[in-house]
Amino acid sequence: MKIIISAIAAMSLFGFVAGAAHADAGAGKAAFEAQKCTGCHYTEGPAKEKSIADQMAKKGPELWYAGSKFQAAWLKGWLQDPKPIRHLAYNSLTKKNAGDHPKLSGGDAANVADFLMSKTTGEVKAGVIKPKKSLKGKKIFTKKMPCTGCHQSASKKGKITGGFSGPTLVGVGKRLNPDWIYAYLKNPTHFKPFKAMPTFAGILKDKDLKNVAKHVSNLK
Amino acid sequence: MKKLSKISLLAAVFGLAWFINTETAKAAGAEETFRFYCAQCHGLEGKGKGPNVTKDFPVTPRDFTNAKEMSKLTDNYIRGIVMDGGPSQSKSPLMPPWGKTISDADANGLIKYLRGLCKCKGKAG
Repeated sequence: MKIIISAIAAMSLFGFVAGAAHADAGAGKAAFEAQKCTGCHYTEGPAKEKSIADQMAKKGPELWYAGSKFQAAWLKGWLQDPKPIRHLAYNSLTKKNAGDHPKLSGGDAANVADFLMSKTTGEVKAGVIKPKKSLKGKKIFTKKMPCTGCHQSASKKGKITGGFSGPTLVGVGKRLNPDWIYAYLKNPTHFKPFKAMPTFAGILKDKDLKNVAKHVSNLK
Repeated sequence: MKKLSKISLLAAVFGLAWFINTETAKAAGAEETFRFYCAQCHGLEGKGKGPNVTKDFPVTPRDFTNAKEMSKLTDNYIRGIVMDGGPSQSKSPLMPPWGKTISDADANGLIKYLRGLCKCKGKAG
């Protein structure tokens, strides 16, 4: 009898938790639409861009794999205090990022983050990359194929240098899922059929793509 | 048999027309290709002053409007740099390899576009 009661209790709890998570994601989807986020971001995959023109017509990044790309805690915080990730406005090489991304309230941010974290892709395999010091990764990042040409990053002493065309990598260790970084390096066109970043897969060995992903995910 | 030949001929003509169209479309897309991939360092005008060229940028990206310098370069040298990166021609790794990103037709279009920017011909070879 005890076992049956425990089983019923466990099942109800599971149902409650699953239901609550579902409700949050549902509320997040509603908030995402109500806040008109859909005007700049699409959330249904796979990638829709068929040409450079399609990419350039977008007002903001695609979010159909947001749950595989971002870290939930970062996303929830960023939606409430959206500090620019890019120095330049999206898809522009001349206009500075105005830093005017809409802010969400705490409740909406939590729900929208839940909704976006439910948007995943099987292309990102979990548990492949652990953030850690990689001398090989660092050497590729800074010298062999200098990512710093287009991306800002911070030195140990906190000095920020790097180019402006790509998203900043300052604080990236808290922002991106390490496994996504590797998946993106390995097969970038699955996520972005047309992107201004070169494809390094096939030029760098798979092991080195992993080394770069380790290094990048370890950046503060 | 005669009928089959006619069909083959017709197919060949259509095929050729499609090929020419596609090639023209690709050539027409050279400016778009340049603006999307190259301008981030070389600038939208091709003068080597893209937004990545901050005070910390350790090299000066090539100014494609400099006819004197551009005419010293062969088209094959440019193709090598574009597809295999700067180090393939003893230049900076800040020029990345684009060979896995753009097609050979894109590279040919870019070379033509660069020749248009410098209003010059490349050295033979």
